[in-house]
Amino acid sequence: MNTALALLWKDLVTEWRSRDRIVAMTVFSFLVVIVFQFAFPDTEQDELTRLAPGLIWVTYVFAAVIGLGRTFATELENEAMTALALAPGTRGWIFLGKAAATWVLIGLVQVLTALVFALFYRVDLSVGLGGSVAIVACANVAICSVGTLLSAMSVRSRFREVLLPVLLIPTLIPVLAAAVRGTTYSLAGETVGIDLLQPLIVIGGIYLVLSFLLFEYVLDE
Amino acid sequence: MSPVRLRGEGVEKRYGRVAALRGIDFEIAPGESVAILGANGAGKSSLLKILAGLSRPSGGRFDASGSEDPDGSALRRDLLRARVGYVGHATLLYGELTARENLVFAARLHGQRPTRDALDAVLEEFALADVAERRADTFSRGMAQRLAIARAVVHAPSLLLLDEPFTGLDEASGERLQSRLEAQRDDAGGARSLVLVTHDPRRAVALADRAILLHRGSVRATPARGDAAFDAEALREALVAVARGAEAAA
Repeated sequence: MNTALALLWKDLVTEWRSRDRIVAMTVFSFLVVIVFQFAFPDTEQDELTRLAPGLIWVTYVFAAVIGLGRTFATELENEAMTALALAPGTRGWIFLGKAAATWVLIGLVQVLTALVFALFYRVDLSVGLGGSVAIVACANVAICSVGTLLSAMSVRSRFREVLLPVLLIPTLIPVLAAAVRGTTYSLAGETVGIDLLQPLIVIGGIYLVLSFLLFEYVLDE
Repeated sequence: MSPVRLRGEGVEKRYGRVAALRGIDFEIAPGESVAILGANGAGKSSLLKILAGLSRPSGGRFDASGSEDPDGSALRRDLLRARVGYVGHATLLYGELTARENLVFAARLHGQRPTRDALDAVLEEFALADVAERRADTFSRGMAQRLAIARAVVHAPSLLLLDEPFTGLDEASGERLQSRLEAQRDDAGGARSLVLVTHDPRRAVALADRAILLHRGSVRATPARGDAAFDAEALREALVAVARGAEAAA
């Protein structure tokens, strides 16, 4: 657990000082929101509210891919990845620390994106806010778990920029389906019950445990 | 500090069809200093990664045992890593972190929480106390290499593995680094083993008790201190002779 906390601290400090991931994700998200605004001009408010969950999750997932692509790329500088591989004990804790830091960073970008999205699309985010937060938090566990594992697997590949989205997005289809459905209910002001969160909790839990166990072999040569 | 004994029998390492190590035998006793010499592609770094627990042999047997372990049983790889300090070709440092933060992070990765005084002592030892709060990406090559070695020893490892630590250093920086490595070797009271991979026979003779000459994945000679062959010039000639012999055989 100490290893995970050390990684979380290190990743957040280095990100605070470099801001390379958070700036890239935020700028990308804002651009996507603006592009969608051009794609749906003169759309009725009801129609916008109906489209909003899909649009916002497309933005979230592609921004997450950008952030996840850099998760282990920073470890290649000065071969710091070797120092991680030398850490004693279960390597799953390294995965957990990296995934937790990514969860925090992606969450921050999502909050900023949601505010801009609400401004452009006149969507009232205060409706069902608690439900939306729960859905995003649960979906992010799945995205960050499998994303961190695949990021570590692809980082030494020459084609890592291509490989990561190609591997990641198919694994996120069930997460996206459940997240979009839950967000639709939430923005409509309906209560987000356990039935809507359950698929995200189950998928997130499976991805988290599998990634924790498989990470042991990812850092090996 | 728990001393470690390393033993390999017929250790092989292959990368696809390329054999980096071809069935080598070795033993490194607790507190012993060994230099691994050889030309590029001799298998030095592959051997060092196996010793560090970073890589598994493709064949043969390698095990590490703690001399204080009651039954002398082999250490699991994750436990071996707890006793290893490693300095590679690169510094393994984070440029955005200060010197002190790099050391704190390295110690915490090994489950330790060093006090400020303990960190100050390490920084002082490597002449980094004045730049402790400076980011590592502002360091010169010599300072970064000193910090890299400080990072490797901050958790008091019983096995220090050094892969070409003198690369990119000028003569004066190399000399200073050598004296700090000698101190690291000697200060542990014989409990710390040191394995140095190098092209430079002069550094090998200064730091090691024994040398392993590798050529194309095989051990060609193992001169030890006290042997006529354990001399910088003799080692250099042996390396050249091995390379020439291999060329003639080819």
